[in-house]
Amino acid sequence: MMIQQQGKKVGLPLMNLVRLNRTPILKQLHLEEKLLRKSSTNWCIINDGTDTPAIVMGISGKPSELLEIGSVLRDQVPVIKRFTGGGTVVVDKGTVFVTLICNKDDVPGVQPYPRSIMSWSGLLYNQVFKGIADFQLRENDYVFGNRKFGGNAQSITKNRWIHHTSFLWDYAEGNMAFLKQPARAPEYRM
Amino acid sequence: MMISRRIWQKRPPTSSWIFLRPYTSQIAVPSPSPSLFPVQTPSLIGFLSSYAASSFRSVYKISSLEMPTMVSRCCYSNHALADLPASGIVDVPLAQTGEGIAECELLKWFVKEGDEIEEFQPLCAVQSDKATIEITSRYKGKVAQLLHAPGNIVKVGETLLKLVVGDSAVPTSSSDVLESVKPPGSENSPDSKLNKDTVGGVLATPAVRNLAKLYGINLNDVDGTGKDGRVLKEDVLKYAVQKGAADGPSAASVSADCREQLLGEEETYPQTFAEVKWYPDDKTVPLRGFQRTMVKTMSMAAKIPHFHYVEEINCDALVKLKASFQNNNSDPNIKHTFLPSLIKSLSMAMSKYPFMNSCFNEESLEVILKGSHNIGIAMATQHGLAVPNIKNVQSLSILEITKELSRLQQLAKDNELNPADNSGGTITLSNIGAIGGKFGAPLLNLPEVAIIAMGRIEKVPRLSDDGNVYPSSIMTVNIGADHRVLDGATVAKFCNEWKQLIENPELLLLQMR
Repeated sequence: MMIQQQGKKVGLPLMNLVRLNRTPILKQLHLEEKLLRKSSTNWCIINDGTDTPAIVMGISGKPSELLEIGSVLRDQVPVIKRFTGGGTVVVDKGTVFVTLICNKDDVPGVQPYPRSIMSWSGLLYNQVFKGIADFQLRENDYVFGNRKFGGNAQSITKNRWIHHTSFLWDYAEGNMAFLKQPARAPEYRM
Repeated sequence: MMISRRIWQKRPPTSSWIFLRPYTSQIAVPSPSPSLFPVQTPSLIGFLSSYAASSFRSVYKISSLEMPTMVSRCCYSNHALADLPASGIVDVPLAQTGEGIAECELLKWFVKEGDEIEEFQPLCAVQSDKATIEITSRYKGKVAQLLHAPGNIVKVGETLLKLVVGDSAVPTSSSDVLESVKPPGSENSPDSKLNKDTVGGVLATPAVRNLAKLYGINLNDVDGTGKDGRVLKEDVLKYAVQKGAADGPSAASVSADCREQLLGEEETYPQTFAEVKWYPDDKTVPLRGFQRTMVKTMSMAAKIPHFHYVEEINCDALVKLKASFQNNNSDPNIKHTFLPSLIKSLSMAMSKYPFMNSCFNEESLEVILKGSHNIGIAMATQHGLAVPNIKNVQSLSILEITKELSRLQQLAKDNELNPADNSGGTITLSNIGAIGGKFGAPLLNLPEVAIIAMGRIEKVPRLSDDGNVYPSSIMTVNIGADHRVLDGATVAKFCNEWKQLIENPELLLLQMR
């Protein structure tokens, strides 16, 4: 608690770092939701790939609108609905998952609103991708130039928030065929 | 309770203006979670006075820190109290979630009609684009009516539900309504969140402290208008403006408009921090590409014993030559400059002094006299210093050199030079004069043994033999050489040869094949 206070004084949130490797994405999501709702400390979870390919939809995703149901059923691809908003993504061993779970008061300057959180995370990832291929946060996406390479989602509760990202470090082109083009797209892609 | 009510009504608080704003503005910003606000009419005035608040300081401790930065919201409750309709039913709309979007999908209700709810109890979850957000109640009361079903799209500002807020249950908000205030002496664990153990015991949240730190403001100097003298964000910003400190948009003025802006524009919050910095931060630039290569090559070059030879070259003839090329130029794509002529005459001079076009092998103590004249041209690009070379200049005409030079310059500009263009050079020319300067003391481009820096061609006065002053175009050159291989005499003789060819270009014809 002392360290947490001191961390706050220098404007940095103290985070527990969890590094996973090929943890199934469903298990990771269970863990994240539990930490968001039950824990009172800050967490950063990094999972290097999931064991088998899966489709992960946002909380209000409707399979008929978002997925090529026929292909999904034929190939028996697991479809998971997560507890955060956002869109649909096909994940596999080439996806790098990074999740940030924070108390709303622990990150200076960040308000528990999507835009505020993403502005902060955008700055963080700016450091990570510095000098590489024109990384930027565009609307709600992480892009290189105008190419989106990671999907984001959040959930904001009374005192905490979670922001998680699936970075497509690598992906199988064939898997993208399971997804339909979403009805809404950001301005920069128009 | 009665006494406190009376006092509450005495004076309008300075920070109550926030609540007079229609809910569609982003008043939700500093609140702990997107809360629901009752519909307000502009004619209402919050009755809480900050004086009244401070008068309670000694009596009441801060009970709940759910809304640390917006203690001023305390008047909100009274606000509603003053305006509460007789039936006590309050319309609760969907407040702006801070994404600037107009609608959210209602995901699920956590309460049902008839439920008693506490302050800050989650009421429902909504989704906007990327985020699911829990909406909590600002009020303690009872759910009268749910107006939407899960799956509905609710516009921002639309009423989500109706609450009965009874008079026995004064709508409590953050930490200041009297009923919810704990008796003195009892400390809530949330209190510690407020960081009370700070200098001079100034009450402020971490966010406000950070803001003060950013402006270089001592919180002790700031008058807190919040409860118990708590320093709020507006207090810091007002102080900063008075101090003449703020120059960012969020602290431009203390007007109500600006307040709204700074309270509302939370999505630009982090950027605003960056804009209003007092002290410029250091910026770390990792070196990549050409710059990274330069670190290595120059470090190695610095180990070589250099000597430098300086000479002035009269370029009058060169100027005439270039003019002639340009005047008789039939190809619009070709632009004639001084450089190709200088390159060709350099190659001619090197034929007589092959040691200038050589490589030195340290281990075997051997000098390799290179057959080809691959003359490197230093180019300043936006990506850094590039040194592509023109291969086999000894076999090229001045026109061919001009074309090849142009090709390399374009590639360098587009950062598309390939490794073959950059390697295999035998001597380097640096036309630093194109940018400026009289001359430089260049460092060798290893493994070459000579490098030539050329300054600007300047028109300077010269004295003729009969004492008359005449203008002359003079270029100063500085030849850097590896003293392990070349000595002063060799370089001087080579330079004389080159100078002669430049000053008398017709001599090039003598050697032309």
